Amino acid sequence: MELLHRYLQAVKKHLPWDRQDDIIAELKANLESQLEDKEAELGRPLTKDEMEAWLKQIGPPMQVAGRYLPQRYLIGPAVFPMYWYVLRLACFWCLVIYSIVSVVQIFNGGIANGTELAGAALRVPAVLMTTAAWVTLIFAAIEFGLARNPSKRGLFANAPFDWSPSALPPAETTAGYRKRPRSYAMAVTEAIFGFLFLAWLLLIPAHPWLLLGPGAFYLDASPYQFAPVWVQFYWWVVGINVLQLGWRCVDLVRGSWQGPRRIQQNTIQALGLIPLVMGLTSPGHAYVTLRHTALDQGVYGAHLNALNHGIYMGLLVITVIAVAHLLLEGGRLSLNVYRKRVAAAR
Amino acid sequence: MTISENLFENLRLELRRGCLTLAVLAQLRQEYYGYTLRKALAERGLDIDESTLYPLLRRLETQGLLASEWREEEKRNKRFYRLSTDGEQMFVQLLEEWQAINASINATISMHASGKEDASGNSTL
Repeated sequence: MELLHRYLQAVKKHLPWDRQDDIIAELKANLESQLEDKEAELGRPLTKDEMEAWLKQIGPPMQVAGRYLPQRYLIGPAVFPMYWYVLRLACFWCLVIYSIVSVVQIFNGGIANGTELAGAALRVPAVLMTTAAWVTLIFAAIEFGLARNPSKRGLFANAPFDWSPSALPPAETTAGYRKRPRSYAMAVTEAIFGFLFLAWLLLIPAHPWLLLGPGAFYLDASPYQFAPVWVQFYWWVVGINVLQLGWRCVDLVRGSWQGPRRIQQNTIQALGLIPLVMGLTSPGHAYVTLRHTALDQGVYGAHLNALNHGIYMGLLVITVIAVAHLLLEGGRLSLNVYRKRVAAAR
Repeated sequence: MTISENLFENLRLELRRGCLTLAVLAQLRQEYYGYTLRKALAERGLDIDESTLYPLLRRLETQGLLASEWREEEKRNKRFYRLSTDGEQMFVQLLEEWQAINASINATISMHASGKEDASGNSTL
């Protein structure tokens, strides 16, 4: 009996104060009746070991008390789908914004080094956890409010997902894919590498060695310098990369990363022609100039002309290849459209 | 416990959960207190843990399906439960639902069994 008393006392500690006496009185009556039956069956009181075995079979006090409590959620099943959706969205965009801000800060500081980059990368988990904590806190508050006003639960849970079946994206068929559909891991990896590439690109003006390697130091010591046309060229490349990255991120968020990216690739390639054409139409095809024209023209003038001509020819070849590729892709697309029309007409 | 045993246990508990409520409501058309109710259900082949049954009684009472009163019996104060008016209506509805589910499952099982017999009969011909 003493063990039973101690057991009930332990259960009581985990019960809500306003109901604990009532619950314990009832549990005590039930368990004492059960114990009496057991003892009557045996014809003797239970030994300490038997008593312990019986109480163990009933369950740990905290667990037994827990069964008397109402079901509690931090975020319940009605709100959870929206919470999960918002959490993923918030973490993703937080990562995007944090990455861009970090890169721009490092870029503007002009003193980017490995330690700064590593520091920014190491802060990512803390940033994501803070975002997740805030989202969770907000949704826990919503859940708390809905628990006190259950009539609003269905309304809240369904309203943000107001949808129409006919507005769903068209069915994706894998039959037409030349390759396996892109996996989520692959799409995320592409986005991450896209960010890293953009970060690398943005760091180039302050740290040309990232692009030219040791050549950057030779260039500094040489009489040559890049012409202003490369600044416009550079920002076009940055802009195209931002667009491509944004497109990939939107695909990820919309869940449409599996499909082929022919239109996306072709658009990016078409936009890529703009800086190439800009380079080709540069006044005087001057891609590299002399730092001290009056002083060095006589010595380096011939080299400079040969260099600029070489760059021009290089840009021309790249442009021709890019245009040919685009025309080829355009032809393929038109052929596919034609085939589909013919198939639909049959 | 293996994965399959664990899965079976989870599914078994899920299956029992709704049935227990119905069994308790059915039994409480007559008055019982916690322990005697547990014994009565066990005698009919339905063993329920103390830690499941007693909180379930409280929950059903909070939901208005049971009515209870404290009364002294054999020199001990006990809380006796029985179906409330709402509980009786709910029991009828739940019983109909359960019988419909039971009939559907039985029909599905017997259809599957007869399909098997046909298939095995055909194969021997």
